[in-house]
Amino acid sequence: MKCPYFKYLPGLAFLLSLAACQRPMHPATSLADTRLAVDHTQAVDPAVEALVAPYREEVTVKMSEVVGSAPVALGKGDYESPLGNFVVDLQLAQSEPIYGKPIDLSITTEGGLRVPLPAGNITTGHIFELMPFENEMVVLTLSGEAVQQLFNDAAARKITYIGNATYTVNKGKAQDIKIKGQPLDLHKTYTLLTSDYLAGGGDKLDMLKNPIKYEKLGLLLRDAIHQHIQQLTAAGKQVTAPAEKRVTILP
Amino acid sequence: MKRRDFLKHTAIGAAGIGILGLPFSAEAAREGIRLTILHTNDQHSRIDPFPDDGRKYGGMGGMARRASLIKSIRQQEPNVLLLDSGDIWQGTPYFNFFEGELEYKLMTQMGYDAATLGNHDFDIGLEGLQKQLPLAGFPFLTANYDFSNTILKGRFQPYKVFEKQGIRVGIFGLGIELDGLVSKNMYGETLYLDPVEEARKMVQALREKEKCHYVICLSHLGYSYDTEKIDDRKLATQVSGIDLILGGHTHTFMEKPEVLRHENGHETMINQVGWSGLFLGRIDVTFSRKSKRRTDTRTAVLAVDNPVLTS
Repeated sequence: MKCPYFKYLPGLAFLLSLAACQRPMHPATSLADTRLAVDHTQAVDPAVEALVAPYREEVTVKMSEVVGSAPVALGKGDYESPLGNFVVDLQLAQSEPIYGKPIDLSITTEGGLRVPLPAGNITTGHIFELMPFENEMVVLTLSGEAVQQLFNDAAARKITYIGNATYTVNKGKAQDIKIKGQPLDLHKTYTLLTSDYLAGGGDKLDMLKNPIKYEKLGLLLRDAIHQHIQQLTAAGKQVTAPAEKRVTILP
Repeated sequence: MKRRDFLKHTAIGAAGIGILGLPFSAEAAREGIRLTILHTNDQHSRIDPFPDDGRKYGGMGGMARRASLIKSIRQQEPNVLLLDSGDIWQGTPYFNFFEGELEYKLMTQMGYDAATLGNHDFDIGLEGLQKQLPLAGFPFLTANYDFSNTILKGRFQPYKVFEKQGIRVGIFGLGIELDGLVSKNMYGETLYLDPVEEARKMVQALREKEKCHYVICLSHLGYSYDTEKIDDRKLATQVSGIDLILGGHTHTFMEKPEVLRHENGHETMINQVGWSGLFLGRIDVTFSRKSKRRTDTRTAVLAVDNPVLTS
């Protein structure tokens, strides 16, 4: 409540003493900050702490569980990156069995992957840091036009990592777009795998917003990453970035 | 100055005097029966404090601290209601690993009186909710989700009435539209009903049938949208007779509650306390001993700068 009357506080106090003699016509409401900060000045309730302790211990154990290992760190970058390529490829590997058929494209963005994967042991905790959000995998069916826009946007803003495709960036524009080795056909429709977050307009990928079809897979991106690294480890493999180059940048 | 304006400004004067040091509790004891409403929203499985790593609110929150704060208030106040406005779940590995079990146990231990369902409380599906509900020693109130065609049929009540020293407090819950927010396979055949229409029915039932003196809505609709989408502010202006809307979903850190007046003069207060249990909201409402009418609502600042000493 804005109140220029504070400077008249002593006067108001006097008026109040008069008002106090009267029966209030209207329930009084004072508005102030209602919030009690829950911070380090609060003692810890021992009973609650005792209830939490075994759970916390289990969380700590689970988060430090080693899932796999990487010979070199997988980082992020413009257009494509070791981490970006690794994730878009594993999205396909983990989602196609659920979807039941091949998917044309797979994307994620630079900002969606929160931190790089380190060299050495990769723990469940690292995977949670990489993907702290509960993003779910979805398959979108898009027009060739929308796919063209996606590549143009990727060439211009450099933040989108695309799997199953190659293209050339010329003066900020996408050229020579190939999907699974075939040139982009504007008259065809394509299936695209991504997270519900990006499909819903996250990172301003507006061309994804009105797809011909929207199918949820019931698989969290974090779980896909976790499963994939587990499977690599079980197969005696390390976590490495796909070797091939996907984006050619003309000077 | 019109008389009404005069009274309004004296109310501000009263708050000023409170700050200047008049003992509030003694004053309240003389005045009437005081109800102390404590509330959270969007806890998002934040069992432990935020990591103290330089982030905003770093080092704040934590359920064990909240429990001691609540305990100390209960030692001072006779009539406490502890409420939550939904999205108890999702956000930390505690939820991913234990599927909400610890959150319900801790809220039960803290003595929550009621909660409503947020969209994230459907994140492990109706089966998951069914599995964990027995651990919640408090009711989930929901007036606008219809579970009749689901496995959770009959598990929820639209409202509950609490009686404190003769003051009847009616509390009902409202949830947000699930379509587009939650996967259909998670909420199944749960029907979303119009919150405005259901809220009107609730107010009527609580005021007329249940003879409530005070009506609280636990809402997970969200504080305010620029679109047509229903929110707490629209609810307050479209439905008359709700005294307090404790909101959630939008993670709004309100520095102070907002009061909206319905065209018939009824005032509805709205409050929301961010998320993650960083803050506990506190609203004190005083009722006349004789008439049981509300005489005063205080949302005074109670700084927690000094360690709270609990026995």
